[in-house]
Parts: sequence; structure tokens; C-alpha cells
Amino acid sequence: MAAKKLRRAQLSQEMCERLSRYQITTCQDFLCLSLLELMKLTGQSYYEVQKLLCKVSRACAPKMQTAYEMKLRKSVNPSSAFLSTTLHSLDRVLHGGVPCGSLTEITSPPGCGKTQFCIMLSVLATLPVSMGGLDGAVIYIDTESAFSAERLIEIAANRFPDYFDSDEKLLSMTHSIHLYRELTCCCVLKRIMSLEEEIILKKVKLLIIDSVASVVRKEFDTKLQGNLAERSNFLSRGASVLKYLAEEFSIPV
Amino acid sequence: MQREVGTLPLAPALRARLAAAGFQTAQELLDTGPCGLSKEIGISREEALEALQVVRQECHGDAARTAGGSGATRKCTALELLEEEQTQGFIITFCSALDNILGGGVQLTKITEICGAPGVGKTQLCMQLAVDVQIPECFGGVAGEAVFIDTEGSFMVDRVVDIAAACVQHCHLIAEAQQEEDLRKALETFSLENILSHIYYFRCRDYTELLAQVYLLPEFLAEHSKVRLVVIDGIAFPFRHDFEDLSLRTRLLNGLAQQLIIIANDHRSAVVLTNQMTTRIGQSQSTLVPALGESWGHAATVRLIFHWDNSQRLATLYKSPSQKESTIAYHITSHGFRDVQPPAVTHSTEGPELNPRKRPRTEEEKQ
Repeated sequence: MAAKKLRRAQLSQEMCERLSRYQITTCQDFLCLSLLELMKLTGQSYYEVQKLLCKVSRACAPKMQTAYEMKLRKSVNPSSAFLSTTLHSLDRVLHGGVPCGSLTEITSPPGCGKTQFCIMLSVLATLPVSMGGLDGAVIYIDTESAFSAERLIEIAANRFPDYFDSDEKLLSMTHSIHLYRELTCCCVLKRIMSLEEEIILKKVKLLIIDSVASVVRKEFDTKLQGNLAERSNFLSRGASVLKYLAEEFSIPV
Repeated sequence: MQREVGTLPLAPALRARLAAAGFQTAQELLDTGPCGLSKEIGISREEALEALQVVRQECHGDAARTAGGSGATRKCTALELLEEEQTQGFIITFCSALDNILGGGVQLTKITEICGAPGVGKTQLCMQLAVDVQIPECFGGVAGEAVFIDTEGSFMVDRVVDIAAACVQHCHLIAEAQQEEDLRKALETFSLENILSHIYYFRCRDYTELLAQVYLLPEFLAEHSKVRLVVIDGIAFPFRHDFEDLSLRTRLLNGLAQQLIIIANDHRSAVVLTNQMTTRIGQSQSTLVPALGESWGHAATVRLIFHWDNSQRLATLYKSPSQKESTIAYHITSHGFRDVQPPAVTHSTEGPELNPRKRPRTEEEKQ
């Protein structure tokens, strides 16, 4: 949205050309300038510049929705609002399960079972909706190389023996879990940014990143001076992309 | 009329030409007329006419201002301000301790900033306020609508449904206890659907969308004149990452603060912002301070800091022009933001289904 070119914001052609001479081509550049600067650059009067500002703002402002419309949209499709974890007390506390459309974070000391939980969630996501799953593919970004496919099959076969009664069902389930091994921060970030197309292509319904902390702590030593800022930069950029993916596709992350 | 040409809101090229031709005051321009102007400076007659119309508008605006008339003037006596402040409503938070330290609740026409660590309850308070601003006047509310600008994506509709349902139930209980006709009539419009339809939600993904939305807000507020609360949940989030140029950030934030002050004053609405906390690494220890730097601290009129103390949530009034600095404890229940009840619970007379954490409101609806 921010990188939207001014051309598409319905500004006139000569105005766009004039602004591009000063390297102002996107809405972001336009809105970062003050009114006086805009007057100088466009050569227009105060009122004209205000009208231009409104036009450009309208091009990138978000759409309004009332809380009521949001509620109606959710109630139309109640089953798709959560991914039930099949642990009843956990589902009760979470009001239904892992929520779709937002980020959920699982933290614990080592060895408590985070990766096991993630593997189980991947199995659950591939189940059809009638059994409480999301009937879709899973993208699993693994930074610790802790994912074991054999364990995946073991969980699936033992938890849902009636569903996974044949080998081909197990195979098709494993087929829909896409595993990416990334070992450095920038690889993880690049992978997250490229996910949008993959999600649409492979009909992904669950995104798991295991784990964010390990790769960040490996690379950024907080005792060194500049690293704190870089680390938080990386984390917040990753976070905003993940939030966008979660909300846009209504999937749990 | 004696206004200098250089201060008029005309295009810079035109201004330069006027200065070169020797025009000094607006009166001279008006006396020359469009044809004379076009011949002297070398612009077309239509352009000259446009320029003169702008000048005339400006001068009329000036005259009105010096006569002390229109609403654009910002000058009034302290007595008028006092009367206005006394009749002004507050947006209650359903936590009487917090309302007390704020002097009645969140004030209209002021910017209130809520800072706190993640998970301490900032978004909960914002959702509570978005519901509370709609309470009808006979129950002590301001009967307004709310605009919710979300930058972090933490707005959960289901939670707002819970909070709104608890609020409606509370008002129903009061109406039954008081048995008055106008209370019951007001309750007919104060239903769950109405509350939810009057919360206008905008999801801004980065700072450009936030800036664009704030530019468009005055227009939106002019169309929806009943809005009394603008919440921006997470003003720090889009500005904290991906910003190499810190001076640009300060400039944008200052511009944003100024626009919000204008909006708060012109539309008589309260502006509530939430901020994150950042660690300031000092000589020997590090402290948690509100994010976005020192200069942002001047933007808000009232500053609340939420923090933890073992497992108790505390709210501190950090900056306020009229109340003194104090700390209170609060609770977040399934019904929303509430007081912490002391261990000796007084049994209310309104019936056994009432949540004992809700304080009885019978003492303060009508002044």
C-alpha cells in the first residue's frame, strides 16, 4: 500500500512527472513531506495542496468496517475461526483453539515439547474440517533441524488410526506438509517475504516457524553495541509480515 | 488588509512574481483588479482572478478573526473555558479507582497516552473505552461513537462482544433498580448490535496508511459528527522498525501529534493512544521507559503507565495537568476492565447473579 505509485493515485500526469523529478514517486514519499515542502515542489497554492493530499491519502488509506460487520463475518463461518488443538482444557482456555488470523507464540524451556506440539498441529491442520482440521497444507519453517518425518507419521497413525488407515492417506498427508530449513536470520526473513505466493499456490492453512529465538540468539549477541537495534529491526519486520499473512489469508501462524 | 503578500497561501512561483513586481500588501492586489494584475505580472486573467479570490477569502477570514466571531477563532476567556470544562463529559472506564485518579474518566478534547509492557491491558482498556463512550447520557456517559485505528492487529471482535454485553447488562440492572421511564427508553437503543455498529474500525499496516488515515480523519469526523473517541492502538509499532532516518520520524510524529490535537479540539472528542515500552540502558541498570523518544512525551496531555508488580496490574498517572501522580491497581475480568475488590466483599442488593467485582453505580449517574 505504501509503495503505491502516485500515478495510480489518480494524480494528473504532469504532476507526477514534476514530482518524479524530485524523486517522489510513491505515496509514501508524498505523505512524508510537510505542506510547505509540497507547495514548493508542486508549485500549487495551499488549498490545492491540501486537496492533493486528500486525494493521495484516499488512495492508500485503509477501508472502514464497523465492529458489527466484523462480527457478522466471523459468525457466518464459525468453524474456521479456530484450529482446535484437541486438548480440551487448552481449547477451553483459548476459547476454541489456536485463533486463525493472528500470531500465537509458544515459549518454554528446552525439552518441554514445543516441537512436538507443532508437529501435532501440522497433522491436525491437514485433517478435513469435519474432524476439526483445516483441510489444507502446512508450511513449516525449521531453524533447528528438529523436525522428524517419522515422528510425524507415528503421531498421525497413533492419534487417528481410523482416518489414517492406509499408507496412501499417510503419504498424502505428508505431501501437504512443506518443510523449509533456514539457518540464518536473513534466510528466514527472505523466506517469510516469499511466502505470499506459496500460500495461494499450495492452499496453505497453517504456518509454523520453529523457532524464532534460536536463529536470532545465534546471530545477534546482545552484549555488542549496535546489535540490539538491528535485532529488533529484524524481529519487527518479520512480525509485521507474519501479521499481514495471518490476517490476509485468515490462517493461524 | 495590510497583510504582506509573502504570507498569502498562493503558489510560490506566483508569490515570487508578485514580489518581483513590487507588490507588498494584499490591499494593493485587491485594488489593482484581475486585468491590471494579469498585465503587470504576465499571467492569464483566469489565474489572476483565482489569485484574487484566494486573497479575498484570506482577508475575510482575518477580519472575522479579529472581530472575535467565528468558530475558527481559538481565543476565549478562562471563564468560558471553566464553564465548558465543567459541563464536559468524561468517558468512564468502569474501574472507579482509575476514574478517580483521572478526575472522572478519560477527558474529551485531550490526548491521553497509555504506555505499558506487552500483555498488561492497553488494548483491553481501549476496547472498554470504545464501548463506554456509547453509554447514554442518562446513565452518565457521553452517548458518542468511536473510531478505532488498529496498527498491531490486536482488536478481537469476540472480546468487544463480551465487554459490550457486560456493559448492557450493567445498565439494565441499574434501570431496573431505578425504575425510571427515560432510562428504560434509552436502553432500547443501547443494544449489542448498535454498540458494535458504532465502532468504526480501520486497520493500518504501516506508517503511510496511518498518516493517510489521520489526514482523512477530519473529513470522516465531519460526516460522523457523533464520534467522541478516537483510539489509535499502537502508535509506536509502525514507527519503530524500518526507520533509518530518525529526524524524519520525529518530524512525522510531531506532525501527527499536531493533527490529533486539532482533531481533539475541533470535534470535542477524546484521543487515546497506546505506546510501547523500550529499555533505556543506563550506567548501571536499565529502565523501562515509553517508546518513541523524549520529544513524543510532549504530545500527550495525560500519560498513564501500566505495569506489573508481582502478579498485580498497576496503573500510574505519570503526567496530567490537573491531577496528582498516583498509582492504583486494576483487574481485567471476563467482563472487561474493573476495580480490584478488597477481600471483604460487600453483598450488593441487586441480586445473586451480579458479578461481585462490579462496583454498584447507583451513586453517580445523574449530577
